[in-house]
Amino acid sequence: MTTSVQQISVPAGAPTEAAAVKVQTPFRRFLSDFFESGTAIAAFTVLLVIIFIAVVAPLISPTNPYDLAIVTVLDNRLPPGTRNLDGMTFWLGTDGAGRDLLSAIFYGLRTSLWVGVMSGLIALCIGGTIGLIAAYFGGRTDTLIMRIVDLQLSFPAILIALVLLAVLGKGVDKIIIALVAVQWAYYARTVRASALVERNKEYIEAAICLALGHRRIVFRHLLPNCLAPLIVVGTLQTAHAISLEATLSFLGVGLPITEPSLGLLIANGFEYMLSGRYWISFFPGVALLVTIVSINLVGDQLRDVLNPRLQR
Amino acid sequence: MRVFRHFVSGVVATALLLPVALSAQELRVGLALEPTSIDPHYHNLTPNNALAREIFDRLVMPDENQQLKPGLAVSWRPVKKTIWEFKLRKGVKFHDGTPFTADDVIFTFERAPNVAQSPSSFGTYLKGKKIEKVDDYTVRIITEKPYPLMPNDMSTFSIISKKHGQGATTADYNSGKAAIGTGAYKFVEWVPGDRLILERNDNYWGKKPQWSKVVIKPIKSGPARVAALLAGDVEFIDNVPTTDITQLEMNPKLNLSQGVSNRVIYLHMDQFRDDSPYVKAKDGGPVKNALKDVRVRRAISKAINREAIVERVMEGVAIPAGQLLPAGFFGVSANLKPEKHDPQSAKQLLADAGLPDGFQLTIHGPNDRYINDAKIAEAIAQMLTRIGIKTAVETMPKSVYFKRASRGGPNKSPEFSFILVGWGAGSGEASSPLKSLLHTYDKSRGFGASNRGRYSNPEVDQLVEQALATVDDAKRQKLLAKATEVAVNDLGIIPLHYQVNTWASRKGLKYLARTDEQTLYTGIVSE
Repeated sequence: MTTSVQQISVPAGAPTEAAAVKVQTPFRRFLSDFFESGTAIAAFTVLLVIIFIAVVAPLISPTNPYDLAIVTVLDNRLPPGTRNLDGMTFWLGTDGAGRDLLSAIFYGLRTSLWVGVMSGLIALCIGGTIGLIAAYFGGRTDTLIMRIVDLQLSFPAILIALVLLAVLGKGVDKIIIALVAVQWAYYARTVRASALVERNKEYIEAAICLALGHRRIVFRHLLPNCLAPLIVVGTLQTAHAISLEATLSFLGVGLPITEPSLGLLIANGFEYMLSGRYWISFFPGVALLVTIVSINLVGDQLRDVLNPRLQR
Repeated sequence: MRVFRHFVSGVVATALLLPVALSAQELRVGLALEPTSIDPHYHNLTPNNALAREIFDRLVMPDENQQLKPGLAVSWRPVKKTIWEFKLRKGVKFHDGTPFTADDVIFTFERAPNVAQSPSSFGTYLKGKKIEKVDDYTVRIITEKPYPLMPNDMSTFSIISKKHGQGATTADYNSGKAAIGTGAYKFVEWVPGDRLILERNDNYWGKKPQWSKVVIKPIKSGPARVAALLAGDVEFIDNVPTTDITQLEMNPKLNLSQGVSNRVIYLHMDQFRDDSPYVKAKDGGPVKNALKDVRVRRAISKAINREAIVERVMEGVAIPAGQLLPAGFFGVSANLKPEKHDPQSAKQLLADAGLPDGFQLTIHGPNDRYINDAKIAEAIAQMLTRIGIKTAVETMPKSVYFKRASRGGPNKSPEFSFILVGWGAGSGEASSPLKSLLHTYDKSRGFGASNRGRYSNPEVDQLVEQALATVDDAKRQKLLAKATEVAVNDLGIIPLHYQVNTWASRKGLKYLARTDEQTLYTGIVSE
């Protein structure tokens, strides 16, 4: 136990000969820690299945819900399990426009995950870089950047996203831009906090003494040692991005109505709730819930495992 | 998500803190569309006109079937072919006690067409008319040509007080400072987006309204409006979502009233540009505007399954349309039927027009104006895509949509190529849609004001103008029917369906459905 803790704390950028040999051990350690919890295994499996479905959606969906030549209002509002005249069975029913809900959920997951992951990655790159720069240079740069971050975090995320989308218009790319604009600050703040600690350690001083370039020190030495919290925040923010996208779609900004994501499917079905056609928003709602919960559970477990203070 | 949760709990807390004053004399109403102003001449829009009618009065007051009834004018007649005389009601007082006279009518004539920043002006009804005072209770309105629709036009706008209206801006009306009328209800308070409060005018000249106080809450979302009614937060709602009608009809605690409106939902097509921005070739490249070809327009009309839209999208609560107004209105044609759904001939027509592979099109529509508007646009896109016209859908809030649809393009021209719109005949007869939608656009004469496709057909223009100057009712009816036939057969617009409106109230209240779609608080009465 104690040895492994020491090994984890060996700075990745430090020129230790032992690191090259033992670098796999922390990773194995990490894996076994991660899969210690049954919940984490379950969540991780579910997440893998969801990702798989999203990736191969066009191959496994019964129909293409975005193809207007196939979808017809004549099939709309059918309850789960109904067969239509062409012999096609709608296992989860159809929505108000006549889309097969099962296919629409598969495609919707694809959109939701793509939006979540892409906005998470881009925000991570931008926010992470900004946070590292703030911590590494300190002083006025740090103050300026962190005040901008404070300002950004003091606005409700949904408000900023709504305003941005009202200006940008509709489309997946625009939703990603809006979500990045909302989320980079979280990454910047997180990475700065851990980079500030690393900044004062000897290996950074050593790197500075060797007169290495700023870029090399920041990305090759500082960054690898701040990765753990970044990964955790990244996972949780991805779940947040997905739910934010669903909220925006629910409010009617974001995606065109002919290519609904999960949020838009729920919004469309919401109108039918009082009339007893529960399935239109219920099933997409369940899909969204399962996705977000599983990502959050994986994220929680990552946090427990990667946090040295919580080492058991 | 956390932010959203805070927001929701905040709303709930606010709702709980509101005083729930309940008295038999008070009526609480949930409205789908809030008026955009209290100024009666700012915006010619159904919710504004309905509210204005309650606070102010009109010379002529249309009843629930848009039949003309005396209002502030007790009688009217043409004294010469080009002069109408209106006798005004005596003894009417404004809310502040000032007596109503001919001067107020004359002042209204000056103000109504000239409100600054008006998104849709009352100029249509007032341009080309001169008013003269004969005595305190008689006015004469003079036109250049004979004008049989004078009483209809006089039923469209509200009469304001000269004393309070002079120099008053729209903001003065919104604050209540100038909102002094002769109507059945007095204005108390308006907090946009939250509440509008009216109080009974005990000195009203007409039938005394039943409610001492009316609290109007704007509830935009359909399910939320229905939920508010079911929970007893409001006693009356308008615009019951079509999805909920069947369910609510079975509820023994509620009353529903339903009626066909004067509103036709239709498609307007760009017929003035050779290069239309949202008409593209199959591969996305530029193409000559196909919508100018009558065969393409007919193909579109034949591709649309109106029965399916009415049954599946509107849940049976609408009537397939073949012209501009439903049967029974003045000036409709007996010869026009809704176009039959016929995708085979539609494809053939496209091929004849030299477009066997179809083309790309974008349909633009509002998503918060007409019943199920966005869903209708989506259904139309499906039907057109099936005959080879690959159609994208773009819907937006009405505030953005109408601005862009009317003047979003270069030189304030209509921006879109293919739009979903509705038109309610304010005058209750066929000249209203003919004049505004199908007559050649001519701003100076007030023609084609909403002709967003810029359709132009000299034969239609001539028939409409002739009809508008024909005093004999039977002859005018024929001319209007003829004009409708020519324009619809030429597919100047493509009619889809007539809207049917539904209101709901708690048991014990009733409402007479109105063809003009207005929700009038004077019309909500105990059973």
